[in-house]
Amino acid sequence: MQPGKAHAADDGQVVVRGRGLGMRFGARVVLQDIDIEVRAGEVLAIVGGSGSGKSTLMRLLAMLQAPTSGTVSLFGRGVSVAADDADAALRRRLGIMFQQGALFGDQTVLQNVSVPLREHTRLRPEVIEQLAMLKIELAGLQPDAAALYPRQLSGGMRKRAAVARGIALDPDILFLDEPSSGLDPLSADAMDELVLKLRDTLRLTVVLITHDMDSLWRVADRIALLADARVAACGSLDELLKSDNDTVRAFFYSRRGRAAGAAHER
Amino acid sequence: MTDAATLSPSGDGASCAGRWTARHVDELWRRSDALRWPDTRVALDVAAITRMDAAGAWLLHGIIERLRRDGKSVHLAGADARVTALLELVAEHAAVMSHPPHPPQAAFLEHVGRHAHAQWHEYRSYLGFVGRTSAAAARAFWRPRRLRVSLLAKELQSAGLNALPIVGLLAFLMGVVIAYQGGIVLADYGASIYVADIVGLSMVRELAPLITAIIVAGRTGSAYTAQIGTMVVTEEIDALRSIGIPPLDVLVLPKLLALVIALPLLTVFADLLGLFGGLVMSNSMLGLNSATYLNRLAEALTLDSYLSGIGKAPVFACIIASVGCFQGFQVSGSAESVGRQTTVSVVQSIFLVLIVDAVFSVAFSKLGI
Repeated sequence: MQPGKAHAADDGQVVVRGRGLGMRFGARVVLQDIDIEVRAGEVLAIVGGSGSGKSTLMRLLAMLQAPTSGTVSLFGRGVSVAADDADAALRRRLGIMFQQGALFGDQTVLQNVSVPLREHTRLRPEVIEQLAMLKIELAGLQPDAAALYPRQLSGGMRKRAAVARGIALDPDILFLDEPSSGLDPLSADAMDELVLKLRDTLRLTVVLITHDMDSLWRVADRIALLADARVAACGSLDELLKSDNDTVRAFFYSRRGRAAGAAHER
Repeated sequence: MTDAATLSPSGDGASCAGRWTARHVDELWRRSDALRWPDTRVALDVAAITRMDAAGAWLLHGIIERLRRDGKSVHLAGADARVTALLELVAEHAAVMSHPPHPPQAAFLEHVGRHAHAQWHEYRSYLGFVGRTSAAAARAFWRPRRLRVSLLAKELQSAGLNALPIVGLLAFLMGVVIAYQGGIVLADYGASIYVADIVGLSMVRELAPLITAIIVAGRTGSAYTAQIGTMVVTEEIDALRSIGIPPLDVLVLPKLLALVIALPLLTVFADLLGLFGGLVMSNSMLGLNSATYLNRLAEALTLDSYLSGIGKAPVFACIIASVGCFQGFQVSGSAESVGRQTTVSVVQSIFLVLIVDAVFSVAFSKLGI
């Protein structure tokens, strides 16, 4: 990848930074003292057991929720989530795929993907549709699927349509909440490929949550492992595998972790 | 942030500059058709583009394509890796991008036909549902142990007891309004005493059953649809079936029976509060004393009138409960359809209640009740 002036941020530069993030719901502490950095052009995977606060952490980083303590900064600017329209310019630089897709049910896929473009640009409607079609195809959907409504889509297609809407405005950072969960192995593989393809063609920075050990091996440049409301470890897969931290070892040397690792070695 | 995309003629071509992104290219897009170009060879210098996204690349692609179609040769200079990659990307997908598919739009006649067909289908399945519910009710009648008493009690509470305040308040206000409107006219004729007839007959025969039914349709019928619809979406209905519990027995019968019991009782309550509203109004506005009003009421209200009002309530209850539950089962797949069927359920049950009420009126007048 050749660094150039057309880049939003040069590769390796920190685009998302969380400092001392804490989140509590009532007496329940979900996140505590989290420091996390995402660098431009990388795929950062957030992993951890169910209920370890992965989704909450992503919501904090993606400006969907305000942390009870700590700060989030995007592209070097501190963000606030006090109001829905706060920092709208920053929000436009983020794309989010929600776990269930969160597509608007009364609109076709094409209309869904057009929504951000219609809202934030003054392009002509036919141009908007053309650009939406590009994103739909990039997300790996058949062109015909653009005319379908979300209820007519399978789970995998719905996730792809959600990705297409997430990248409609060519965001700098794409957040993916469990992109391969609930998909059959073939679709999950295809989803991994899609993440890599998007990163390479659109030069995206990707933050993804996953349970899928295979995805970790395949796509993640760095991994942040959450446990007990904290970041237990953060680093490349190799670093984590060499770690002698008990939590990390328990996670990666689980039966599934070993199986995925063995499959990847081959 | 104001550096919009620009395209300025220079010597043997043009140079592009600024932010070629979705938010900044719209102006340029509108003007791009009117640009003048050299005759054979066009040099495009893109080195000054500070930022490009898919929208900018698509515009540049369009410009280059048009020039090539006109038989000119285009030379791109100063494209960095990102611009090149984006141009390749849109070129690869250009065929699909130019033809966004749309869902087929039905013609007017086709629309009418489809709608009629769907309505016909829905009425048939509604009849089927009524039939199956009746069969289940008959079975429960022979074997009352099939009836879930605890569920029935819960439904009675939510459909009946909890509805008392709103039904009572609205009936009271209705009584007040009728007494006021009637009283104005009657006072001119010195016949204020007959305000009791007006309030009594209109309330007891028509308005109390109707208002109660409409409130219950909006309040309880919609809740039935939403509850059953949500259970369809979360596959709880299928779970019930798989465990061997007929959904009709646990979801529909208790609701139906509860409403058949609760609605007449609510109507009696509405009768009382409506008459009381009339009493309050004629007391304060017409100066009619309470005893006179009540005596007149006793003469005006016959048992026939009273029963013809109360008698409609169980019928209304059957309509509201069956439509509410039926529309709940009509929910398909998505959460959005729960909202749609709930609306349909309220509109349909109020519609049917009013129709049936009109039929009752005609029948009663033929029978001379």
